[in-house]
Amino acid sequence: NAFEISSLITILSYLISFSFQQRIEIHKLRQGDNLILGFSIGGGIDQDPTQNPFSEDKTDKGIYVTRVTEGGPAEVAGLQIGDKIMQVNGWDMTMVTHDQARKRLTKRNEEVVRLLVTRQSLQKAVQQSMMS
Amino acid sequence: MKDLACTSDSHVHEQSPSNQTSIAMMQEPQEMVEETVTVEEDPGTPTSHVSIVTSEDGTTRRTETKVTKMVKTVTTRTVRQVPLGPDGLPAMDGSSPMGSYTDSIDRRYLKNGERFITPQASSTLTRSYNSYNDSYPESHEGQYRPYIGHDGYGDLSDNYGSLSRGVNYRPRYAYVPGGTYRPDDGSFTLPSRRENYGPVAQPQVPVGSSVDLNRSQPERFQPEPYGLEDDNRSLGVDDEGYELDPDYSTVNRRTSAGVPERGRPHKGRGYDDPIETEMVEERIPYLHGGYAAPLAQPERGSMASIDRLGKRSPSIDSIRKDPRWRDPDLPEVIAMLSHPIDPVKSNAAAYLQHLCYENDKIKKDVRHLKGIPILVGLLDHPKPEVHRKACGALRNISYGKDNENKVAIKNCDGIPALIRLLRKTNDMEVRELITGTLWNLSSYEPLKMVIINHGLQTLTNEVIIPHSGWESEPNEDSKPRDAEWTTVFKNTSGCLRNVSSDGAEARRRLRECDGLVDALLHALQSAVGKKDTDNKSVENCVCIMRNLSYHVHKEVPGADKYQELDAGQTTGTGGSQKKKKDDAGCFGGKKAKGKKNGDLDRNFDTLDLPKRSEAAKGFELLYQPDVVRLYLSILTESQNFNTLEAAAGALQNLSAGNWMWSTYIRATVRKERGLPVLVELLQSDSDKVVRAVSIALRNLSMDRRNKDLIGSYAMGELVRNLPSRQQRSAKNLEEDTVVAVLNTIHEIITDSSENARSLIQTQGIQKLVAISKSSQSPRETKAASHILQMIWSYKELRNALQKDGWNKSHFQSVSAAPKGSKGTAGRSGYDDSTLPLVDKSQDNEKSGSRDMIPMDELGPDGYSTIDHRDKERKYKTSDNTGDASEKEPLKNDTNRKNINRSNRASVNLVDARDIKPQPVDSWV
Repeated sequence: NAFEISSLITILSYLISFSFQQRIEIHKLRQGDNLILGFSIGGGIDQDPTQNPFSEDKTDKGIYVTRVTEGGPAEVAGLQIGDKIMQVNGWDMTMVTHDQARKRLTKRNEEVVRLLVTRQSLQKAVQQSMMS
Repeated sequence: MKDLACTSDSHVHEQSPSNQTSIAMMQEPQEMVEETVTVEEDPGTPTSHVSIVTSEDGTTRRTETKVTKMVKTVTTRTVRQVPLGPDGLPAMDGSSPMGSYTDSIDRRYLKNGERFITPQASSTLTRSYNSYNDSYPESHEGQYRPYIGHDGYGDLSDNYGSLSRGVNYRPRYAYVPGGTYRPDDGSFTLPSRRENYGPVAQPQVPVGSSVDLNRSQPERFQPEPYGLEDDNRSLGVDDEGYELDPDYSTVNRRTSAGVPERGRPHKGRGYDDPIETEMVEERIPYLHGGYAAPLAQPERGSMASIDRLGKRSPSIDSIRKDPRWRDPDLPEVIAMLSHPIDPVKSNAAAYLQHLCYENDKIKKDVRHLKGIPILVGLLDHPKPEVHRKACGALRNISYGKDNENKVAIKNCDGIPALIRLLRKTNDMEVRELITGTLWNLSSYEPLKMVIINHGLQTLTNEVIIPHSGWESEPNEDSKPRDAEWTTVFKNTSGCLRNVSSDGAEARRRLRECDGLVDALLHALQSAVGKKDTDNKSVENCVCIMRNLSYHVHKEVPGADKYQELDAGQTTGTGGSQKKKKDDAGCFGGKKAKGKKNGDLDRNFDTLDLPKRSEAAKGFELLYQPDVVRLYLSILTESQNFNTLEAAAGALQNLSAGNWMWSTYIRATVRKERGLPVLVELLQSDSDKVVRAVSIALRNLSMDRRNKDLIGSYAMGELVRNLPSRQQRSAKNLEEDTVVAVLNTIHEIITDSSENARSLIQTQGIQKLVAISKSSQSPRETKAASHILQMIWSYKELRNALQKDGWNKSHFQSVSAAPKGSKGTAGRSGYDDSTLPLVDKSQDNEKSGSRDMIPMDELGPDGYSTIDHRDKERKYKTSDNTGDASEKEPLKNDTNRKNINRSNRASVNLVDARDIKPQPVDSWV
């Protein structure tokens, strides 16, 4: 009945909105002396946000995934181009400089990086599917 | 100027010759080493204590003391056991009293000929022996050789005997046993000796000594770093002058707890020999379970010597255990140091080292018995074995809170002797011992200058430069060498770190020491390049750099030429102003300063750094803006709190100066995006890191643009570090740190109502009011009150404040007023006691620094500025009349606020104007 359906939708959309923020755990790969994640980032509060091709809001100075190495640890873990990185191992990444973000991601003593990311495409997909 | 901190760490080393330890190490040498490293460097474990000391010039300084124990276990237990006759006196003849032991031992020997491993022996000793063999694969032969082949042994004993005649024991027993030990590895034969002393040669007893002897051979140590150990015990009682860091000592104690020096061994080797078992039982607290070594007596002896139960005398213990034996007493051992036979000397020294390990009483006794000059004399002995052992003993003796021992070493010219030996020897172990001893000695204030006078250049040339990888004339073809983080380098850098805190003269000597600064910087650059910034050596280097950066603006030769001009002229905080100054001729004629490195040059385009015709070198490197990048890299990469603190402290020192280089440094920190790095470190769990960073930010905010940036982006973090009503603060920061944070906030909101607004927006008022009303600390109260007064003085903010429910009474705290005028002694009230670590040293300097603080300057934008005199007057006024008047000079604030706003539009934590083209994205 209608009530059940609407509450189901509520629950679903709650779950989905939750999944807009996705946790991704990347195990770094040793490459020579370095541990690599296999993706690149753009953005940061010291960068020009208008140049970010991935953001909806062109004042968004967040850190975005700009490239992902094929077959690399990030891709394996499910990271995608355009993902916005919200946190790295619990550290906020929405108000950091580009370099700070890079440093956070490349801590030598951390072999595993846990990201919290949001994915525009995911949101859109969900919205569209719910509209239709 | 503000807040110049000097750090010195004292690291103390002690070596213990403990058989147990060594054996334990043999078992898992790596692990032991790891452990040491962990303890020392675990960033979560503050390893040092900071205390404020006032130096002769009145400057406040922080003295950090770190007590690090690297213990190398080397035991030569030579003269351990003396057989006693039935009457309780030492037996003249080893055989008769031996009784049953003799029998069994004889049997072994007889049956197996040269081989020690007899059936019985195997059954009881095999396990231990096996493992022993495993750990020491090939070295036995080499080690023992000297002893074996020593024909003189027989004579030796005679001589020895004469030496010990007084005590009625026969020296040969002591030595003999050593020879007998060999057997355990099965390959060793000691024909003559064995025959003679066979009876004595109970594996446990006499053997021990030789084993130890062997152990002490450096060749062995190298491959198997079993010798490294924490001397936990002595840690606990260490240098009073250097307060042990509680955590540190706890950690150590914990690791060692039930496992005193010999403790580690529990590797579960059971020792089955009945005698040994018996002894083990007696020592049970230390050795439950596995007895690591088959060296009964010697072990026992060592136990006894450090026995906590008060059985201090080695002899008592052994007598109790086996009435036929006793250890030589201390006077005897010391007498043996002068014995004509070299092995006697070295064995006696090694035994002494062992006895002294963690035993302050014995150390003192050695001193009273005049043993120290003899040991020092042996440093010049040509035989490596002798000077090595002497050095080992001195290293242990020099460790500890009893500075008298250190003084005794110095009084007999031990320091030049050590340095001489360092120049002479290539033996890595000896070099480690020498530098370890010097490190210990360097922890005692009065010896620092002596070390500098005798050893600075030698330490630099022999250790620092070669191990740093720096080459004064690099070969074009070869690529730069990396630093080697050797123990010798660590010890030496620790020693220099300590001596670098000994005041202006010490700093001058170190700065002017050829190649020292160059090499340290090279080492640090190498560390950053290899992302290896957590280790102790790096920590030491950064601490030295920090100390040498202290007061650099007034202490380096020719510093006065770089002083900022009189306030009226010095308007620049940024590049263009600087330039103006250069044109004024203040800078132009100097010996050229330039960037050695083209690649660095680019970053300073806008800074108009003076061009140099030649590369900076020596102490000039200390304050070249290039170092900013190095420190920032360290601040970004290192996980070592001490290193972080020191690097922040270095920036703090460099940015505090009232000369042009400080101005460059302040701007460079911004250009190199250092502000976000520093602000992030305000989140550090380490109190002292927060403090150093906070003070650094305060100094940096003398640069107007920095001030704006810090006000906008750091205020939140600063406020977060303040205690709230409920809790001291999330981190429970020390008073000093809270005061430092408060003073930084004060500095940031001074002359910046915009920053004061940020403070209000970050909910800082609530915390400040709470502190000013209810803090237990008068210093915190006062500092908070100053801030509140400052805020209230911005009339344009009052509406907002009142809207939030605050009223004047919250900002006019009674407690705030009068004490602040303490500063009247000085030139300005600014230097009052609420401002920690303020340089109160020299009046003239203070006035200098006051003048140089370009607080009101707006720099390149050309806005009018409040003259420094105004500022000065302001503070003076406030001194005289209390807080109310403090507001006076701020009348211009409305003005200023607007200015700030307009400035701020484009301001970001990284100043937009400073941004270099930045990679839009980076691979990670």
